Amino acid sequence: MNRTFKPTDLLWYGLLAALALLPLVPRLLANSFTAHVCILILLFASMAQSWNLLGGYCGQVSFGHSVFFGIGAYGAGIAMVTYQSTPWIGILVGALAAAAASALISYPCFRLKGHYFAIATFAIVEIFNRLFMVWDWIGGAMGLDYPILDDSWKHFMWSTNKTGYYYGALALFVLVFSLVRWIERHRLGYYLRAVREGQETAESLGVDSTRVKLSAMALSAFLAALCGAFFAQYNYRVDPPMVMSLDMSMRFVLITILGGVGTFYGPLLGAVILIPLQEYTRAYMSHLGTGVDLIVFGLIIILMMVKQPRGIMGVLADLKRLSGPARSAEVK
Amino acid sequence: MRTKWAVALSLVMGLAMAPAGSAQDKVIKIGTIFPLTGPCAVAGERCKAAVETMAEVINNKHPEINIPLAKQQGILGGYKIVLVNADHQGKPDVAKSEAERLFNQEGVYAIIGCYNSASTKPASAVAERMKKIFLSGCSSSAALTERGLKYFFRLAPTDRTESQEFVEYFQELNKEQKAGIKTAGIIYENTEFGKHAADEAKTACKAAGFEVVADVPFNPGATNLNSEIQTLKAKNPDVFFGACLGGDYTLFARTMKQMGVAPKAAINYCTGYQDPIIAKQLGPDGDFYMGGTGYSPELGKKYMKEVASVEAIYRQKTKVEFDSDSIQEAVALHVLAQAIEKAKTLEVDKVVEALRTTTFDSPLSLGGKVLFAADGQNSKATSVITQLKNLVYFPVFPKSYAEAKVVLPFTPWNKR
Amino acid sequence: MTTFFQVAIDGILAGMLYAIVAAGLTLIWGVMDVINFAHGDFLMVAMYVSYWLGFLWKVDPLVSWIASAAFIFLLGVVTYKLIVSRCIGGKSAMAPLLATFGLSMLLKNVCLNRFSPNFRILSGTWLDGKKWEAAGLVFSMPQVVTSLFSLAVILVLWHLIRKTRTGWSIQATSMDREAAELMGINTERVYVLVFGIGGACLGVAGGLMPSYLATHPEVGSLFGLIAFVIVALGGFGSIPGSLLAALLIGLVEAFAGFYIAPVFKYVAVFAVYLAVIMVRPKGLFGW
Repeated sequence: MNRTFKPTDLLWYGLLAALALLPLVPRLLANSFTAHVCILILLFASMAQSWNLLGGYCGQVSFGHSVFFGIGAYGAGIAMVTYQSTPWIGILVGALAAAAASALISYPCFRLKGHYFAIATFAIVEIFNRLFMVWDWIGGAMGLDYPILDDSWKHFMWSTNKTGYYYGALALFVLVFSLVRWIERHRLGYYLRAVREGQETAESLGVDSTRVKLSAMALSAFLAALCGAFFAQYNYRVDPPMVMSLDMSMRFVLITILGGVGTFYGPLLGAVILIPLQEYTRAYMSHLGTGVDLIVFGLIIILMMVKQPRGIMGVLADLKRLSGPARSAEVK
Repeated sequence: MRTKWAVALSLVMGLAMAPAGSAQDKVIKIGTIFPLTGPCAVAGERCKAAVETMAEVINNKHPEINIPLAKQQGILGGYKIVLVNADHQGKPDVAKSEAERLFNQEGVYAIIGCYNSASTKPASAVAERMKKIFLSGCSSSAALTERGLKYFFRLAPTDRTESQEFVEYFQELNKEQKAGIKTAGIIYENTEFGKHAADEAKTACKAAGFEVVADVPFNPGATNLNSEIQTLKAKNPDVFFGACLGGDYTLFARTMKQMGVAPKAAINYCTGYQDPIIAKQLGPDGDFYMGGTGYSPELGKKYMKEVASVEAIYRQKTKVEFDSDSIQEAVALHVLAQAIEKAKTLEVDKVVEALRTTTFDSPLSLGGKVLFAADGQNSKATSVITQLKNLVYFPVFPKSYAEAKVVLPFTPWNKR
Repeated sequence: MTTFFQVAIDGILAGMLYAIVAAGLTLIWGVMDVINFAHGDFLMVAMYVSYWLGFLWKVDPLVSWIASAAFIFLLGVVTYKLIVSRCIGGKSAMAPLLATFGLSMLLKNVCLNRFSPNFRILSGTWLDGKKWEAAGLVFSMPQVVTSLFSLAVILVLWHLIRKTRTGWSIQATSMDREAAELMGINTERVYVLVFGIGGACLGVAGGLMPSYLATHPEVGSLFGLIAFVIVALGGFGSIPGSLLAALLIGLVEAFAGFYIAPVFKYVAVFAVYLAVIMVRPKGLFGW
């Protein structure tokens, strides 16, 4: 296929270059809280994009992604704590296990439509959460605490500065987004969108919707698990409420939808707005001790959903439309 | 095009919001991390208030308060303690990032926290790597002081020592009152705290020859505890060990009343039992339960007379008396301040040395002294077993503290 | 054998409480296809209303439920007008759900902020601690009374939907909004009413609960989750379905809790839900 270099390519590679060079900006990453926020933005953008593959492009809104996130986290945790070795093997095993689990779970669930599917995914998260809480081999309710080790890529743990974590998060980001970008432009992407727009219609055109949904689910789970592993390595601890909760599942969904579900940059935009908001309101308002930061958060979610359900991408599209009728006519 | 600008703008905003460095007055910034929101918010607020109370006592001249450092103004010749409070929302990942933020951005000298052992672990790991002091007042997991950390100190007794004390008491009851206690049932919330307490209870029972016939974890925040109490009723152990926080504790007591379940004794870890507000709300239904107590107003009146004047300040903030958990956080700040004063410097290693080697006068501690062992655990941590009757916690064990004869067996519900 | 019946009774009483929480939700979901994520938090607010009336003015929950029901009716109406009405009908099916998620966060933390996280229980209410014993079985009076109210509310609701003109307009609107409009039904008013009635059902439950349950900002979460499961299990829109599903869930919770292990109570509940839904994807009575 003859690839012409389009403006969107320029934007994408430009962004990657900017992110790769970010640590060189003097004050930015030296401030460890700013570095922390940047790392979380990249992590949550990756998480949201992995969800977007299934929920946005394929239209299957699942609230169960924290299960895959959790399995990935435990993969890394078990490797580090139970087996006292390098987490990389655990990360791979965890991701594969998550993909396998997703296939197992989703196959019966795909028969459900709309809200029923959503509620079923709630039920799945709760089941996994409670089972993990009593499964002693993985630590149960006590969780797994990381030993204090030297900073290294082998252990994928750093404590003196955050550069290692930053590049790790960036690598994850590049992996997830590049994969989704590739899918978007190839056949699988078209099949996903066909299933989203009308499953029966797609099937009548010869699309095997079950296989398509399963592929989306497995890939989505694999990527979410990688994010979970990073989360465990970053926080030196895994336990079920941290990773396998409904709260975490909601974050996957919220960030994508606030950013723009089914769009490529939506997850990134959602993370760029929500994560600094979450972190800075907690840091500067929560010491008031009365949940003010969460009140603000709740209000913003309500406002966004009421005003522009298509998220930030929708807002940007509206601005584009307002800025010139001639332009939009051209686009059409 | 616009997307790129949006991204760039947000990154710049993030940079702009990074706070400036701290001022150069004579100030020692101490950070606190407690669960100010989320399921343990009640306890978190009280712990924060306790540390604030102690800071006020240290910073100002309080001639009416008779504890070390109260009569002077500040420490190290006029340094004031300024608290920077953070909320970990009950989440260990937030505790970890708040610890980093407090040390790096706010420049705190040391941190006191985090109430939940699950959050204390990663936060104290951060402190250790940065070679900064971390004190935990009441996190009760024994594992915290088994990590070989050099900068971590913990005040309260652990669930392990509590379990051993409970079991010793039952053995004494068997010997002196022919109580006939042979079997135990454990009911606990299925969280890091509950599971750990239950494991310690099982170990202690086994060592003492008591048989654990029922092991009943429950989901905190449950809509009812019927199945749990039913299971206990069916297995009929002689004593119950309970680890239920807050609202679950009231549900626990009331369900027991509803089903007419009355073992020989019901003893609790640091939980809803010690909460004076919950005791008031339960009223007569809370009577005859027992638990490990590091502080209660009755204990205070007799053995910790200086607490009352400090408590007056605490009551202004929380409208309630100290409880076993919150008072330990006040002790944490007290001991840290005394160590700094003794070391006559803020150099971390010298203060750590002072913390490790000094036997501190701690009028807010039962037993009056604090001495940290090599692993960071306060070896003088004491708690007594009390029994609640008419909103008063009567000490019943050890003998040296016992004030009232224990009501044993637990008075059945229909006889009250 | 007595234990078996005791467990069964506990299950039925718990199920009746779930039924009234679910009834309102199934109505809202059935008529406008909206999952109100803040449903559990509406229950929490109702409990606070009843608690404060009891604490400040010694009003017994047996009376204050009226106030709770009225308050949550209004809350439901306001929620609909300000939030839900502006979200539905658009391309995003998730918008109302996420907006109500934001509302849930808001309600929880406003209550946390204003009322502190303290667990609050009312003592000295009329029903407090009373129980009825028969044939070796114990019936807790607060739970029995709540169950009776629940049954009454569900019967009233069912009668309303089935036998009154308002009920018919509600049914018509849920079947086809446009057709109902063409027939002269003010569907906007129907939606407002439905959200309000759904809230009022919760208000009754929340009004009575302080006689035996502690009130605190997180009390509604699990109830809300179980309500979603019950409604989906019974089939959305079906009130008899939600009653049956609620009883089933209550029994599963009680039996699993006693005969398997209490910690698996909710695992069993969610597992049973998944099992049923595999066989009947639209729930027991779904249409």
